Amino acid sequence: MNDTVVPGRGDKGLLRNRVVEVENLTIRFGDFTAVDGVSFSVRKGEIFGFLGANGAGKTTTIRMLCGLLAPTSGVVRVGGLDFDDGGNGIKSIVGYMSQKFTLYDDLTVGENLDFAAGLRKLPAAAAEKRRAELFGMTGFDRPLTAKVSDLPGGIKQELALAAAMLHDPEIVFLDEPTSGVSPAARARFWGLIRRITAVGKTVIVTTHYMDEAEQCGRIALMRAGRIIALGSPDELKDSAFPGPMAEVDFQGSDPAAPIERLRKAPGLLALSPHGMRWHAAFSEGALMDAALSALPVSVRVRKIKPSLEDVFIRLAGGAQ
Amino acid sequence: MGITLRAFIRKELVQTLRDTRRRVLLFGAPVIQLTIFGLALSTEIKNIRLAVFSRPDDAMFLRLAERFYASGWFVPAVRGPGDDPMELIASGGADAALIAPAEGLRRSAERGSGKMQLLVDASNASKARAVEAYSKSVISEAALREYGTPLRTPVRFDVRVLYNPAMRSSLYLVPGVMGMLVCLITIILTAMSLAREREVGTFETIVSAPLSDLEVLLGKTVPYVILGLLDAALVVGAGYMIFGVPVRGPLWQLALASMVFVVATVAIGTFVSTVSRNQQQAMLGGFIFLFPAMLMSGIMYPVENMPGAMIAAAYLDPLMYFVRLLRNIMLKGGAPGVFWTDVGAMALMALASAGLAYRRFRRTLN
Amino acid sequence: MTSFSPHRAFAVARKEVMHILRDPFTLALALGLPVMLVTFFGYAIDFEVKDIRLAVYDRDGGPAARRLKEIFSASGYFRPVEPEAAAGPIGMLDSGRASAALFLEPGFSRTIKGGGEAPAQFVLDGSDNSKAAAVAGYLPGIAGAARLRLSGPGGGEPFYAETRFLYNHELNSRWFTVPGLSAIIIGLLAILLTALTVAREWENGSMELLLSTPVRPLEIMAGKLVPYGVLVLAGVVFVYLSSRLVFGVPFEGGHLLYLAACVLFITAALSQGLLISVLARQQQVAMQFALITGLLPSMLLSGFIFPVESMPRFFRALTMLLAPRWFMAAVRGITLKGADLSELSEPFLALGLLAAGMLALALKKFKTDLEP
Repeated sequence: MNDTVVPGRGDKGLLRNRVVEVENLTIRFGDFTAVDGVSFSVRKGEIFGFLGANGAGKTTTIRMLCGLLAPTSGVVRVGGLDFDDGGNGIKSIVGYMSQKFTLYDDLTVGENLDFAAGLRKLPAAAAEKRRAELFGMTGFDRPLTAKVSDLPGGIKQELALAAAMLHDPEIVFLDEPTSGVSPAARARFWGLIRRITAVGKTVIVTTHYMDEAEQCGRIALMRAGRIIALGSPDELKDSAFPGPMAEVDFQGSDPAAPIERLRKAPGLLALSPHGMRWHAAFSEGALMDAALSALPVSVRVRKIKPSLEDVFIRLAGGAQ
Repeated sequence: MGITLRAFIRKELVQTLRDTRRRVLLFGAPVIQLTIFGLALSTEIKNIRLAVFSRPDDAMFLRLAERFYASGWFVPAVRGPGDDPMELIASGGADAALIAPAEGLRRSAERGSGKMQLLVDASNASKARAVEAYSKSVISEAALREYGTPLRTPVRFDVRVLYNPAMRSSLYLVPGVMGMLVCLITIILTAMSLAREREVGTFETIVSAPLSDLEVLLGKTVPYVILGLLDAALVVGAGYMIFGVPVRGPLWQLALASMVFVVATVAIGTFVSTVSRNQQQAMLGGFIFLFPAMLMSGIMYPVENMPGAMIAAAYLDPLMYFVRLLRNIMLKGGAPGVFWTDVGAMALMALASAGLAYRRFRRTLN
Repeated sequence: MTSFSPHRAFAVARKEVMHILRDPFTLALALGLPVMLVTFFGYAIDFEVKDIRLAVYDRDGGPAARRLKEIFSASGYFRPVEPEAAAGPIGMLDSGRASAALFLEPGFSRTIKGGGEAPAQFVLDGSDNSKAAAVAGYLPGIAGAARLRLSGPGGGEPFYAETRFLYNHELNSRWFTVPGLSAIIIGLLAILLTALTVAREWENGSMELLLSTPVRPLEIMAGKLVPYGVLVLAGVVFVYLSSRLVFGVPFEGGHLLYLAACVLFITAALSQGLLISVLARQQQVAMQFALITGLLPSMLLSGFIFPVESMPRFFRALTMLLAPRWFMAAVRGITLKGADLSELSEPFLALGLLAAGMLALALKKFKTDLEP
C-alpha cells in the first residue's frame, strides 16, 4: 500500500467549511475489520463520492457518518456533531437514502411522505410546505394517491430522495442511489444531485458507475476497508498516470505475441484489456512512441486520456 | 413522540387494513372461526351409533333399546341382518353394541341375573367413557320404570351447575377460542411485520431517523396492540351476539385483562422478530412459542389434570392466565381477588417479555 | 414444450433442501413439533378428569355422612378440601379454590339409618364444561357405591350391562391421542411450509428467476414438494416410533396401509399448501390462510379431540371435505382396530379423492399462473 498515491490532501485552509471530518475511523465486526483507519473531510456544497467494489467498506463508512453505526475507534464529526449521543444528533441533521428499497411499496406516495415526516417529527403544515418545495425541485408530478408499487424505478428513487430530504438536511448521504435504474433516469437523478448542491447542500454518494464518479467533485477510492486514493477525478488520473496513455486496437489479428513484447517495453506503467482493445500507459512520451512503433502495421494506435476506470483498475484492481 | 407515534400507527394500520384480503383475514376470520368452533365443537358426546342384538320377541329389551334412542345421546347404527356385533364395531359401523341375555331380558332379570353385554369401541377413550356413563344411566332409569317400585337409594344428589347451568359448550369454548385467536394474531403479526421491514429494507428508513430506541419500539408495537384489542373486542361481541356468551363481570376488567395480555403477546412477537432473519423464520419462531402456550393454556384440557412439571410450566404461560381470566370475568362475574392476582401475574410476564424484547431490539438496531 | 425432467426437478429439490438445512427455525419446528406434541399428549394429557377439589359442608356429622365422604375420596376422582367458612362455597368456586361443593344437612345420617332417602346438594363449577360434564358423570357411580356401602347388599339392580371396552381395555387416553398426532403434524407442517416457501419466492422475485430458466412449472412443483414431504414423513415416523416404543400403543393393522394413508394425506396437504401460496403470493396472507384451512381443522374438526359424530349435521357434512378427518379415521382404524382396506374403504376412497382433487386444482392454478 506504500506506493498508493493520495493527492488532493494539500488544501489546508477553509477549515470552517468542512461539514464532515473523519480521522482514523475504524470499525470491526468480530475479527473482521470492515473500515480501517480512514481519514478525510468534506467541504460544504461538495459532491463527494465513494468508489469501490462491493465489500470495500463504502456502505459501512456511510452508515457511520449517518449515525447508524458506532465506530470502534476514530473520530467522526458531521456538521460539528459527533457520535457521543448514540448518533441521534447526527441523524437529525443528515438525510440518508440507503441502497435497499426504503419506501413502502404498499403505501401511496402521500402516505410514505407522511410517515417520513412523522419519523422526523415535522408538524403537518411544515411537512406539506417542504413537500411542495421538493416536488418543485425534483419535478415530481405523480398524484399523492399513487401506490409506490406502481411507479417506475427512477421515479421511486426520486421519491425516496424527497423522503430523505423532507426535514431539510444540510448533508445528504446517498448509498448507490441509482442501482437498478435506467440510464436516462440515472442522468436525471444526477441532474437533481447537482441542483441540490447548487443551493449549498452537501451530497455524499457511493457508486460503482464510473460515469457517475466522474461527476463528483472529489472521489475517495476504497479497497478492503481503506481509502487508497482521494482527489478530484482529474487529480486521480494525473497521479495514477503521470505519463501518456494509448489505446491499442489489434483489429482482429492475434494479440498474444505483440502483447507479450509490449509487456517488456521500457517505461510501461500499466497494460490492461478493455473489451477487444488494450490500454497502455507509459512514464514518458518518447518511451511510448518507441514501444508502439514496434507493433505490427495492422495494429491501430490512438493516444487517449485515461478514464476513471483506468485509474480504478490500476489502483484498486491490481493484486492485493 | 406524539407526532411520530401517530405516524407509525397510521402507517401500520393502512398497511394492514388496506388490502381487502387482509381485512377479511384479520377481522372476518376470527368471527368465522369462533362461529364454526362454537357451533361445531361440543364437549358433550352425541349421536353415538348403537346396535342392539336380541331375540325378536324380547319385548322388555326392545323397550330398553327405545329408551336408548329416545335419550338423545344414541342413534341406531345401520346394519345388515347377519352382522356380528364385533365386526360391526371393527368396520366402524357402530360405536357400541348392546347384547341381550340369550334367554330374554325379562326371564333373565327375574332369575336374578339380568346381565347384558355392552361392547364399546374404545379407540377414542374419552368417548368410550362417556358411552359407558350414558348407558348406565339409561339402564338404571329403565330398571326403575320396569319394576315400578323405585329402588331404595340412600343418597339422592341434587346437582346444580353454576355459571353455565345448561352446560352449553359454547359458553365454555368461546372464552378459550377468543384467547387463542388474539394470541395467534398478535404474536404472528407483530413478529412478521418487523421481520418484513428488515427483509425488504425499509427498516433503514426508520433507523436513520433521529428517534430513540424506545420510540422505534413503541412505534412498531403500539399499532399491533391496538389491532389486537380491536380483535379481542370483536370476538367478545361476536360471542355475545351469536352464542349469547355473557360478560357477567365489569367491562373494565375485561378491557384491562385484554390490554395486559396483548402487551405481553406483542412483546413476545417483537422478541421473536429480533431473533429471526426473515418473515418465514419469524412465523415459525412464533409457532415455537404458540404451540406449547396453546396446549398448556387449559383451553382444551383442565390444567389441574396435568402432571406437576407441566403445571409448573403452565404457570409461565400468559395464555393460561388470560383464558382463566376470561372465563372468570365472562362466566363467573370476575371475583376481584382472583382478578388481581391473575392480572398481576400476566403484567409481570408482560413486563419481563417487554424488557427482554427491548434489550434484544436495541441490540439488533445497532 | 419439453417434457418433465427429473434432473431439473432434482436441482430445485436440492436448493430447497439447502434452504431447510440452513434455516434453524424450519428445522426446529419440523423436528421440535413432533417431539413437543408427543411429549404433551403422551405424558401430560389425561382425559380422565381426576383430583377434583371438593369442598364438603358437613352440617350433619353423623356416621353416614363420614362414610359418604370416604366414598368420594376413595373413588379417586375427588380430593376433599377444607371448606372455608369465610369465603363460603360460592366464594370458593368463584375463586377456583374448589371445583365442586357438597352440602350435607343435619339429619342426613338419621334419614339413611331409618331407611329413607336423604338429599345431598351438589354444586358444580360449570365454567369448565369438560370438567363439569365428567364430574356430573361420576355421580351415578358414587350413588351406586353409596347404595352398597350405606344400606348393605340386596339393593342390586334387576338388570344391568357389563361393559367391555374394545381395542383399548384400560381406556388409556394416549392410545388414541398419540397415533392421531400424525394428522396434526402433517396438517400443520406440510401446509404451512409449502405455503410459505412458494409465497416467499414470489415475494422476493426469485420465482421470476426460476421461471426464466427452462425449468417447467411441474418440475418446480415436484422439486419444492418432495423435500417437504420427506421432512413431514420423518415427523410421522417419529410419532410412530415413540407411540410404539415409548407408550406401548398397539399397532394392529398393516404398515403398508398406514404408509399409504400417510402418503395420500401428505399429498393432499402439500397440494393445499401450494394452492394457498399460488393464491396468496404474500407470506403473511399465505400464513393466515394456512392456519385457517390447515392447522385449525386438523386439530379441531378432524375428530382428534372432539368427535365428529357429536357435531351438528351441517358440520358433520362439512368435515367430509376435510382430509384430516378421513386420515384420522383411517389411522385409528389401522392402529387400534387392525382394520383392513375393505373395512376402511370409505376413508381411503375419500382421502384418495381429496388428494387427487387438491393436486389437480393446485396444478391447474399453478400452470395457468405461470405458463404464458
